[in-house]
Amino acid sequence: MSAFWYYVFTLLFFLFDYFILAMGLNIQYGETGILNFAYIGFVAIGAYVTGAVSMPDSAGTGQHYILGLNIPFPINLIIGGLTASALALIVALISLRRLRTDYLAMVLISLSLVLYDICNNFVPLFNGADGLYNVPEPMAGVLKLTTNSFVPFFAGVAGVVALIMWFLMSRITRSPLGRTFRAIRDDAGVASALGKGVFRYQLTSMLIGSFYAGVGGGLIIQFGGSFNPSAWLPGETFVIFAVIIVGGVGNNIGMIAGSLLVETLLVHLPAFLPSIPSHPGLIEYVDAMVIGILLMVMLWFRPQGMIPERIRRSPISASTPLSSVTAVAARAGAEPLSTVEEGGAS
Amino acid sequence: MTDQESRGSSDEMILTCEGLTKAFLGVKAVNGATFEVPKGKITALIGPNGAGKTTVVNILSGAMTSDSGTTHIGSTDVTNWPSYKIARLGLMRTFQLSRELGDLTVLENLLVAPKHQPGESLVNIFLRPSLVKRVECENVERALGILQTYGLYDLRDNRARELSGGQKKLLEISRGVMASPTLLLLDEPMAGVNPALIERIGGYILDLKAQGVTVLMIEHNLNVVEKICDHVIVLAEGKTLATGRLSDLRANPEVVTAYLGEVINASTHS
Amino acid sequence: MQQFWLAFGFGLVTASVLAISAVGLSLQFGITNYINFAYGDFMALGAFLTLEVNSGFLHLNIWFAMVGGSLGMGVLAVLINRFLLSPFARRFDKTFYVLIVTFGLSLIILNVIYAIWGANVRAYNMPIEQVLHIGPFLLTRNQLIVMAISLSLMVLVHIMLKTTRLGKSMRAMSDNTTLAMTSGIDTKRITTITWFLSGTMAGLAGTVLGITEGNLTPASGELFLFVIFAAVIVGGVGSIYGAMAGAVLIGLATEISAVFINPSYKLDVAFVLLILTLLFRPSGLFARPGKA
Repeated sequence: MSAFWYYVFTLLFFLFDYFILAMGLNIQYGETGILNFAYIGFVAIGAYVTGAVSMPDSAGTGQHYILGLNIPFPINLIIGGLTASALALIVALISLRRLRTDYLAMVLISLSLVLYDICNNFVPLFNGADGLYNVPEPMAGVLKLTTNSFVPFFAGVAGVVALIMWFLMSRITRSPLGRTFRAIRDDAGVASALGKGVFRYQLTSMLIGSFYAGVGGGLIIQFGGSFNPSAWLPGETFVIFAVIIVGGVGNNIGMIAGSLLVETLLVHLPAFLPSIPSHPGLIEYVDAMVIGILLMVMLWFRPQGMIPERIRRSPISASTPLSSVTAVAARAGAEPLSTVEEGGAS
Repeated sequence: MTDQESRGSSDEMILTCEGLTKAFLGVKAVNGATFEVPKGKITALIGPNGAGKTTVVNILSGAMTSDSGTTHIGSTDVTNWPSYKIARLGLMRTFQLSRELGDLTVLENLLVAPKHQPGESLVNIFLRPSLVKRVECENVERALGILQTYGLYDLRDNRARELSGGQKKLLEISRGVMASPTLLLLDEPMAGVNPALIERIGGYILDLKAQGVTVLMIEHNLNVVEKICDHVIVLAEGKTLATGRLSDLRANPEVVTAYLGEVINASTHS
Repeated sequence: MQQFWLAFGFGLVTASVLAISAVGLSLQFGITNYINFAYGDFMALGAFLTLEVNSGFLHLNIWFAMVGGSLGMGVLAVLINRFLLSPFARRFDKTFYVLIVTFGLSLIILNVIYAIWGANVRAYNMPIEQVLHIGPFLLTRNQLIVMAISLSLMVLVHIMLKTTRLGKSMRAMSDNTTLAMTSGIDTKRITTITWFLSGTMAGLAGTVLGITEGNLTPASGELFLFVIFAAVIVGGVGSIYGAMAGAVLIGLATEISAVFINPSYKLDVAFVLLILTLLFRPSGLFARPGKA
């Protein structure tokens, strides 16, 4: 396979993967209004755990890591996603109920830095700063894939996973649950006054989003075969924020557009460009600045993103005669006091 | 004894609060407010500006905690419960400055309101989609009916933040109604709306009473209070000054000095 | 026991650096009511400005360079607020937007530093020093100077807040911006001054961090940020004195813990304290009404 097609499939893989990551952050930030500045930490945990459970026992590999259970694809991926959700559960139980948005963001960004510190320094966990490598290529043995044919194959797998994840997410965002998430985003006080236990919904949103983060991370480690701390500097979270804000907060299709523009063109394409010998790394630095500036320009001039959140129109068209609904008009439904007391007991 | 006469000795109380206090940075906004709200009636909460009316509503609805005092709904002690739990007991409220869910459509604003929707559970969404769909259809139908009653039907697909001030007031009331309340707290439902709409909102409130909903409303317009309210609570400097029928309160010199005097004079001279 | 006192001494040094940075962050938070997530990068940028004055063509003594670098960062902070943060804060009601902008700003500043000064570990141009024995402590002269700077700065901040008109206006704004505005306080001017102070203190903190650690990297400020957040949350968000107390507590805790655990994780102890605070006293040691 020529180098050109290798690039194309690599870019395609990252497009799909960042679509998944963007959907996960979107349900947290875009739908529910949780500023999860630790998002990349959940991606990393998903990646490490997916890799570690699929690898053989660490003895004899020259690496140090926990687990090592030889669990095949796609079960390892699901375990990675669930582990990220479990981490989110702990974090949410400690901090979500107690803090307003910006303090929560402070705690989360701290968490992200601490997770990074621990994974980087504590070698027995995930091999420290070297990270995991020689992670088995999923199904490569069964399908007799070579290093070359694995890349297009796994880009396809990522596409299928992204499609499934998109289908599931659109079910959630279109449901009453998604509507309650958006009500909380718009005004948590009103949602609470309407009887919505805000904490429980924010927790649900955190768990769903973190599962997506974990799965997205799991795909990354299996695609590249390795994962180390340099792949998930805390600033990476910002890139995913840029994807959803540029694409359109609260819109799943916008995520694809955002992934395409930010992730593929600005982050991965420059990695394939030749660097300037006199200034090593300059392209990446300028690139990161461009993403930051792009996001700010977008927030200022088009805060709804390239593809804005759709208005969810009522299922009955404007021309429908009203006769069918007049019958139930204004059934305020006052309940007797006895039900009040029942509610109090429950 | 005016109290007894106005509500009749056999009345059941749906909401009682006793000795509520709340201070902000040392200033006592509410200072021992004590009153009862009779079931099935429309009760007005009146008082001069800064009397602590909105703070009392915030405490009753759970949006704020009180520094001391107790609140009961029916026989349940709900003192300092979080607002979502109080809401689940059937207490709904509106806000003085409308707080619509701006990015949601008018219809969606109502659809958020019903309690215990099966579609709000992740498990049901994937395992019991037909149940979710059935309840959702029922809710949509009922919401559209309410919107029609409140004259918002044609605006159902507009984002709520695009509505006018008066429409937002109507939206808040209809959203509360959608939640099937037993008790509705309205914080100045008629402030800043035109006279025709005041008339309409008054009619809606009377309709709600006819359907068995208890209403507690903060209101400055004494003509409205006179027309639709059965019972009046006067709040001044964070305390309950008097309760009873408005006609009786007009004869109460304390109430007249604290509040009614200026308003009555103003309205008779205008 | 000797080890404990040694660690205690280092703890006081860390606390000095933390106090400057935590107070600088809290001053700005009190006035604008949003957290500046680029604060760690303000520190790093200030530290590198000092480096430029210290090692560039001016070649100034480190302490003069520190003054230059800090004031330079103060001016930059004012400009950043004037042309970037303040427009966003005014335009959008929800704090989401301006928080994301500060988060993005952090990425931009970090990469500006990388692009200008490179990714290598750098150090200030300082004479090599002998270690002094003072009671049970082992400290360098520079560390002592840093402690003195921090202590006098805290006293100055206290005097400013309690006695000057500026300080009183700042406290009034921090309690209630609208009320302060209606009572004739020039809130725009106070905001500008606050950003200058906050930026200057960030630059100062970044520089003294570089001095006490003996090296500086572009990411050093960002990695230190969560320690600052820990100090601020433990002390009570929005309270200046809480920030000072939190700084001392976190500074001592991180260094003393290094006696018992692997020093690589000493900063993570700050996070543990943060979590404990959230669990048992979520509003912090010096809670302020209305801010938590």
